[in-house]
Amino acid sequence: MPSPPVVAAVGATPIASEHRGGNLRDLMTEAVLDCLADAGMDDLSAVEHGLTSYESDHFNLQMTLGAILHDTIGMIPKPNVRIEGGGATGALALRTAWAHIQSGLCDSILVYGCEKNGRGLSSRTANQLFALSADVDWEMMAGGAYTGFYAAMMRAHMEAYGTREEQFAHVAARNRRNARFNPGAQKPMDISIADVMNSRPVAEPYKLLDCSLLSDGAACLLLSTEAWARAHCPAFHKRAPVYFTATGCGSDTMRLGDRYPELSNFRAKRAAAAAAYAMADISDPLAQIDVAELYDSYSGVEIQAVEDLGFVERGQGGASVAGGIFDLDGALPVNTSGGLLGRGAPVGATGILQAIEVARQLWAAVDPRRQVANARRGLTDTHAGIASISVVNIFERRD
Amino acid sequence: MTEKVRSKIDIHLPQSATAGDVWAGFRQVERIHIELTQRYKYSLGKVSRFFIELEQGRFFATRCAACRKVYAPPRPLCPDCLAVTDWVELTGEGVVKTYSVLHFSPGSNDDVRALETPYILAYVLLDGADTLFPHLLKTSPDLAHTGMRVAVAYSDQPAHHPIHLMYFVPIADSSKTK
Repeated sequence: MPSPPVVAAVGATPIASEHRGGNLRDLMTEAVLDCLADAGMDDLSAVEHGLTSYESDHFNLQMTLGAILHDTIGMIPKPNVRIEGGGATGALALRTAWAHIQSGLCDSILVYGCEKNGRGLSSRTANQLFALSADVDWEMMAGGAYTGFYAAMMRAHMEAYGTREEQFAHVAARNRRNARFNPGAQKPMDISIADVMNSRPVAEPYKLLDCSLLSDGAACLLLSTEAWARAHCPAFHKRAPVYFTATGCGSDTMRLGDRYPELSNFRAKRAAAAAAYAMADISDPLAQIDVAELYDSYSGVEIQAVEDLGFVERGQGGASVAGGIFDLDGALPVNTSGGLLGRGAPVGATGILQAIEVARQLWAAVDPRRQVANARRGLTDTHAGIASISVVNIFERRD
Repeated sequence: MTEKVRSKIDIHLPQSATAGDVWAGFRQVERIHIELTQRYKYSLGKVSRFFIELEQGRFFATRCAACRKVYAPPRPLCPDCLAVTDWVELTGEGVVKTYSVLHFSPGSNDDVRALETPYILAYVLLDGADTLFPHLLKTSPDLAHTGMRVAVAYSDQPAHHPIHLMYFVPIADSSKTK
């Protein structure tokens, strides 16, 4: 296997419930220009390939958005591919870009993702469209909704392992507090566990503040061989090289009920982590990973994730989270960006935003109040549906 | 006021100009409404018999001819064996394995929009099946619990989607079987 690709440069817009400064093309343009500035490049003429990352033709009211954005940012006539993988879209896009570089198909690829999930549609229509990503005949039409599926999983976790609502409220409060130190975050809040517990029920046991955000935003990551970055990105040598060293992907049934008897945890996440750890030669993830962005679509999902990623034993997620080991001053800080709960989640950009946060942590380039000291290796965890597709990507600083 | 653009919502202007703003000439952003409605001719496919039997008050699942696993909801193909399945009738009784109480309706169609909140989404292991069937459990949220015995009830109300020809109800004294 050739030397892994490097994160040559990154860029993003602030994440917001509704960007009033422009439409999706405008947001993507701003993120790409931000990435160019980060690279110290004047234009994209040297970049060989494009990769567009977005989920929904419905939310964005535009099909073939990949071709349109590719045109908008001046990548014509270079090759392009659009990736969709539900909530995992951005991470799957990066995994696909990794394969493009590793195969030798190209030495540089611009991964750019965006979504308008914010207030372009009424919450009723937004709920309806998101329900389309469930099984239409057997779940959506019966009255099912993702908040309900996740809630039923969390109930199973609580009944199997004694996990408590206060424990996942810890995640909801901590991630929104972390977002206070991220100027690009959508919903920084200085809230307590009690605030979460007192918020109104949405799908029991989940309450309003246990639920992540609907967001508008765009993000961009330039992935390349190290030699390409040194030749074409004037700013690359100014910071330690960060390599995209490993990627794993797993899948599971669309419907929760088809997973019986396992209802409490994510099989796909275990498979993705196992593949990524094998590639990165990781045997003790809690000790060998310094910082991680986890897919906190709902607060309890982070508890399930720390188990399925092998950070703690099955059933220990609730106690370990509440004990603070994943807080900013803990053994393995997670969701330093604020996560989906605090930073926001414009779907096609989410996995890219997670990778950007990890890269900036490894460069020691974030606000000191959320900076993890001496971070050398970071992980992103991203999934679609109730982890019907799961992607784990690993980044390492080597200097 | 009469707008020349009938769908106009507003024109957004930045609160203040920023020195050196490269986008200074592009800061007026207009919003309009666009409305689309779609009506699909939607096939229920190879599992249609489930819905057709439901109209007659019968609950069917499918069983893999090779591994004997029983799928409810039905699958025409066993994903473990890639063998075509057979239809089998179940009693419609089963047990709740997990559930959630929803305080909002996703508004998926007119059947779902008509639901009163809160309502219960239950995952039921039907007697004789190996997978869980997700559907509405019509009882008080205070009474719902994992382990509750339930049965399929057949609705006599016309439905927009045939999945609403059924729902689950508790079997009397089911709390004793918790």
